[in-house]
Amino acid sequence: MDQILHNLVIGFGVAVTPINLFFALIGCLLGTLIGVLPGIGPVATIAMLLPITFNLSPVGALIMLAGIYYGAQYGGSTTAILVNIPGESSSVVTCLDGYQMARQGRAGPALATAAIGSFFAGCVATVIIAVAAPPLAEVALKFGPAEYFSLMCFGLIAATVLAHGSLIKAIAMVIWGLLLGLVGTDVNSGVLRFSFGIPELSDGIGFVIVAMGMFGTTEIIANMEMKEAREIFTSKVKNLWPTKQDFKDAWASVLRGTALGSALGILPGGGALLASFGAYSLEKKISKHPEKFGKGAIEGVAAPESANNAGAQTSFIPMLTLGIPSNAVMALMIGALMIQGIAPGPQVMNEKPELFWGLIASMWVGNLMLVILNLPLIGMWVKLLTVPYRYLFPSILVFMAIGVYSLSNNAFDVLIMGVFGVLGYICAKLECEPAPMILGFILGPLMEENLRRAMLLSRGDPTVFVTKPISAGFMIASVILLITVALPAIRKKREEVFVEEG
Amino acid sequence: MKIKSQKDFWSGLMFIGSGLFFAFWAMAFYQMGTAVRMGPAYFPTMLGFLLAVLGAIVLLQSLTAEPEGDQVVHTPFNIIDFVIAIAVYAVLIILSQRIGFAPEWSLLAATLIVVLLTVLFRPDAKPLVFVTAATIAYGYFMKPLGLVIATAALVYISALGGHEFKWKEVTILFVILILFSVLVFVKGLTLPFPIWPEYFG
Repeated sequence: MDQILHNLVIGFGVAVTPINLFFALIGCLLGTLIGVLPGIGPVATIAMLLPITFNLSPVGALIMLAGIYYGAQYGGSTTAILVNIPGESSSVVTCLDGYQMARQGRAGPALATAAIGSFFAGCVATVIIAVAAPPLAEVALKFGPAEYFSLMCFGLIAATVLAHGSLIKAIAMVIWGLLLGLVGTDVNSGVLRFSFGIPELSDGIGFVIVAMGMFGTTEIIANMEMKEAREIFTSKVKNLWPTKQDFKDAWASVLRGTALGSALGILPGGGALLASFGAYSLEKKISKHPEKFGKGAIEGVAAPESANNAGAQTSFIPMLTLGIPSNAVMALMIGALMIQGIAPGPQVMNEKPELFWGLIASMWVGNLMLVILNLPLIGMWVKLLTVPYRYLFPSILVFMAIGVYSLSNNAFDVLIMGVFGVLGYICAKLECEPAPMILGFILGPLMEENLRRAMLLSRGDPTVFVTKPISAGFMIASVILLITVALPAIRKKREEVFVEEG
Repeated sequence: MKIKSQKDFWSGLMFIGSGLFFAFWAMAFYQMGTAVRMGPAYFPTMLGFLLAVLGAIVLLQSLTAEPEGDQVVHTPFNIIDFVIAIAVYAVLIILSQRIGFAPEWSLLAATLIVVLLTVLFRPDAKPLVFVTAATIAYGYFMKPLGLVIATAALVYISALGGHEFKWKEVTILFVILILFSVLVFVKGLTLPFPIWPEYFG
C-alpha cells in the first residue's frame, strides 16, 4: 500500500507540472472534439499526431495521446445522445437509450449521467491500474512464448464472444484479420508474403490505414447514404442536473459498468468498445424492467458510458505490463513509445517509473479536466453538432487523408485506405463486425511469432500450451467461454439482448 | 434451394473465397516447414483453411437456419452490379497499363471512368464511389501537383457524392480547409508536403 502511495506521489509530481498539464489539456480537448465528430476517431487522430510526438518528452507525448483516447469516450456520448449517431464506435449502445431520453426532453440529465459516470469510472480505473499493474508486470516477466500465445487466443475469443452479432462471423473476421496482418516480410525467413510484387507491401499494411478505411471511410459513406434529416436536440439541453430518482436508478449501473468495463479493458482484445457492449447487455439482463431499455432508461446510458471510459483506461494495463496492444489505439501507443526509444514490456515500470506513474496520474487529472470541459461547456460542443454533415464529411476526409499520407508520404497508402473503405462498406452491409478483424490484424504477426517460438522450444510438441500452468489456464478459460456461448440457452439470451440493434 | 439469409450467404462466400486464396497461395509459393520449424506458409495455410471452414458453416446456415431479424442486404445498388464494377475497374487498370500508361495514371483514368459510369447508370452508388475516388485522387495528386490541388480534388469530388452540392459553399469550405492544412500541418507540424506543383516551386 505504501509503495502504491509512494508511486502515485511520484506520478502526480510528474503529471501536475505545467507542461504536462498543458499536454493533458490539449489531449482532452482534441479527444472531446474528435469524439463529438462522427467519422473521425482516436485512431486517426493519434496516428496523425504520432510523427510530431518525436519532438516531445516521452511522458508528455503519452499523456497527450492517452488524453485523446479517453477524451473521445466523453465526446462520443454527446453525439450519441443528441443526434442518435455514435460519435465514437464505443458509444453505439448509448444511442439506444440516450437518444430516447433526449426525445423525452431529458437530454441534460442523460449528458450529465454520462459525464459523471465516466468521471467516476475514470477515477476507479486509475486506482485499478495503480494497484494491478505492478503485480501483473511481475507475473508477466515469467511469461514465455506459450503463455503469450494462449493469452492472445483468450483475448481474441473473449472479444468475439462479447461482441454482438453472429459468433461464427466474428471469429471468421478475426482470422481474416490475422491473415491480412501477415502480409509483408516474414520475420523468420525474410520471405515476402502476399505482397504480389508490390514493393509498398513488403513492410506490410499499416493498421492505421486499415482502421481508418474500415471505420472512418465506411462511417462517412454510411452517413451519406442516409437521406432523412437528422433530428438534433440542441436547444433542449437545459437543466443538466439529474433528478433524485435518476441518481437512485443510475448509481448501481455506474458501479456495475465500471467494474465490468475495468475487467474487460484488461483483457487483450478488450477496451472501450467491448466494455460498452458488455455493460449494456449486463444491465438489460439483470434489470427488473428490461422492457424500459431502448425507451430511455437511464441505466442504459449510465452503464455503457461508465464502462467505456473504464475500459479505455484499463486497456493500458496489457500495453504497459505485457507490451501487448489490446486494440488499435494501444498499438499506436506502443508506436509512440518506440519512437521515443522505449521498448514496451514489463520492464518499463522499473526502468521508467516517472513515465509509468506520470501517465497514470495524468489520467485522473485528465478526467477532472474532461468533466469541466464537458458539463459547463456542453453548449460549445453542441454547437459543433449543428454544422450540417455536408460540411463535416469533406473536412473529416481531408484530415484522414493527411493522416494516412503523412505516415510514409506515399500515395499507395491512401489507395489502400480506399480499398479498405470499400471492404468495410461490404462488411457493414453483410453485418460482419470490423472490430474483431482489426484486432486480429494487430495481433497476427505477434501470434505467429510466439506460436513459432513456443513450438520450437517444445520441439514441436503442441501439448506445451496445456502443460504449462499459466498457459493452460488461459486455454481452459477460452474453451469455457466458447462452450458457454455455443450452448443454445445462453445463445438465445445473447441474441435477445442485442435484438434492438439489428 | 432457397437463400434464407442474403447477408450470411454473401459473407460465407467471401470468407471461403479469401480463406482458400490465402491457403493455396501460401502453399504454392512459400515453404511449409514442420511444426518444430514453421516455414512462412505454415500459419497462413492453417488460418486460410480455418477461415474457409467457418465460411462454409456460415454459408450452410444461410440456406438452412431460419433467419432472425432483417437478413436482406440493403445497398442502394445490386450486389451483382458491385461485382461488375470491380471487374470493370480491374480490367481498365490492366488494359491501360498494357497500352503503356504509367501505373498512377492508369489507376486515375480507370477511377475516372468508373466514376462516370456510376453517374450515368447507378447514381445511388455515388457516396461509395465518390468518397473512394476522392481519396485515391488525393493520394496520387499529392506528389506531382501539391497539397492545394490534391485537397481541392478531395473536397470537390467527395462533396459531389453528397445529396446537396453548392459551388459557393464547397469553395468556402475548401478555402478554410486548405488554409488550416497549410498553417497547421505544413507550417506548424512541419509535415513535408509540397504545397504547389513541383514545376512552380
